[in-house]
Amino acid sequence: MASTIPFKLITPTRLIFAGDAHLVIAVTTEGEEGILPQHAPFLAALKPGLLRANVVENGRESRLELATREGFMQALPDRVTVLVDEALRFEDVDVAEARAALAQAVERQKSETGDAAAYAREQATIDFESAKLRLTGHGAAH
Amino acid sequence: MASVKDLRDRIRSLKNTQQITKAMKQVAAAKIRRAEEAQRRARPYADALAELLHDLLRAVHAVDHPFMRPGKSGAPSGLLLMTSDKGLAGAFNSNLIRAAELYVREKPDVTFYTVGVKARNAVRRMGARAAAGWPLAAASKIDAAREVARRLSDDFTGGRISEIVMISPQLVSMMSQRPQTRKLAPIVKEDLAALAGGKVPDDKPKGAVEFAPSPEFVLSRLLPKYLEFTIFSAMLETDAAFFAAQLIAMSNATDNAKKLIDELTIEMNNARQAAITKELLEIVAGAEALGA
Repeated sequence: MASTIPFKLITPTRLIFAGDAHLVIAVTTEGEEGILPQHAPFLAALKPGLLRANVVENGRESRLELATREGFMQALPDRVTVLVDEALRFEDVDVAEARAALAQAVERQKSETGDAAAYAREQATIDFESAKLRLTGHGAAH
Repeated sequence: MASVKDLRDRIRSLKNTQQITKAMKQVAAAKIRRAEEAQRRARPYADALAELLHDLLRAVHAVDHPFMRPGKSGAPSGLLLMTSDKGLAGAFNSNLIRAAELYVREKPDVTFYTVGVKARNAVRRMGARAAAGWPLAAASKIDAAREVARRLSDDFTGGRISEIVMISPQLVSMMSQRPQTRKLAPIVKEDLAALAGGKVPDDKPKGAVEFAPSPEFVLSRLLPKYLEFTIFSAMLETDAAFFAAQLIAMSNATDNAKKLIDELTIEMNNARQAAITKELLEIVAGAEALGA
């Protein structure tokens, strides 16, 4: 795995990562998608979930793992860009808070009747909070 | 002529005012740097969003998204007015409010949405219809912007407003901020193309782009993000422009106070000298009277 591709992870408030990656895996609305260097041009909408990448940071191989909200992934022959609403690293996650938020969202979703947009919003919260818990090794309740 | 004591009191009070304006000027200068830093950090997202749009527009044929359909005819226009929460920044807020008043004069049927305490108060004074208001200061500006965007898009897709127009300050330079009026919805393809940095791209993509699941779907996901982000970056710009205006206003106030203090000091010295001269004359006159 010698080859790499420039990779950027961006949220509205900051640039989370800019460097080179061997592999980027994100959860699209159609399922998980892995991008290797020289991938065909590709553009997808992302669901909240785990974003994983094998990157080169300060000349050393390392693994990047983050819980991300919904967003987009764009792969071009010469770079990969991921745009998400929010991206949290392991150390940014408050496990107790994530558990509570997950339980609340599940409850709200159960009582939601009819409003498809509200249902989808709760589902997005559920996906994001579950991703936070999986990132911290607390498993998925779903 | 005012007495020496009166003048001295006025000078002291002016010096206090000057100290306050000088402190506010320094605070504003520091806050501009923070606001500009926040703007700078939002820049990569703006660039990436523009690039995504560019790719999408090349691939999309017909989009059936509520944001791209004309708004409900007969419904009022939705005007998002953005100001600061606080004053003491010269004509910064009143310029924005005047722009809103001009807009209302042309299109009287308006529902207001406000960001910033000054905007909310102004709309209340106008007696106009206000649907919702948010302060500009927020723990998380992006979360606040999402809330504003969601409310606006709900009202737009629900047919309660026929369009979304935003009036917010533009930071032209440190010395100049002016209101700008932008239409956020309905969006036409040309607007998006301008954002993507040019005309509607008609060249064929270099090699087919694979979309998951389809360009139309991705675009329909992107449009709400575009609205959110536009409001978010307008909030950041309002912050930066406000502190720039405040810096200028406070700098002028400090200079004016200095000028007044100088004038009053001269006046006070003259008054004191006059009093001394008068006393001396009296003493000399008294001595002459005794000696005579």
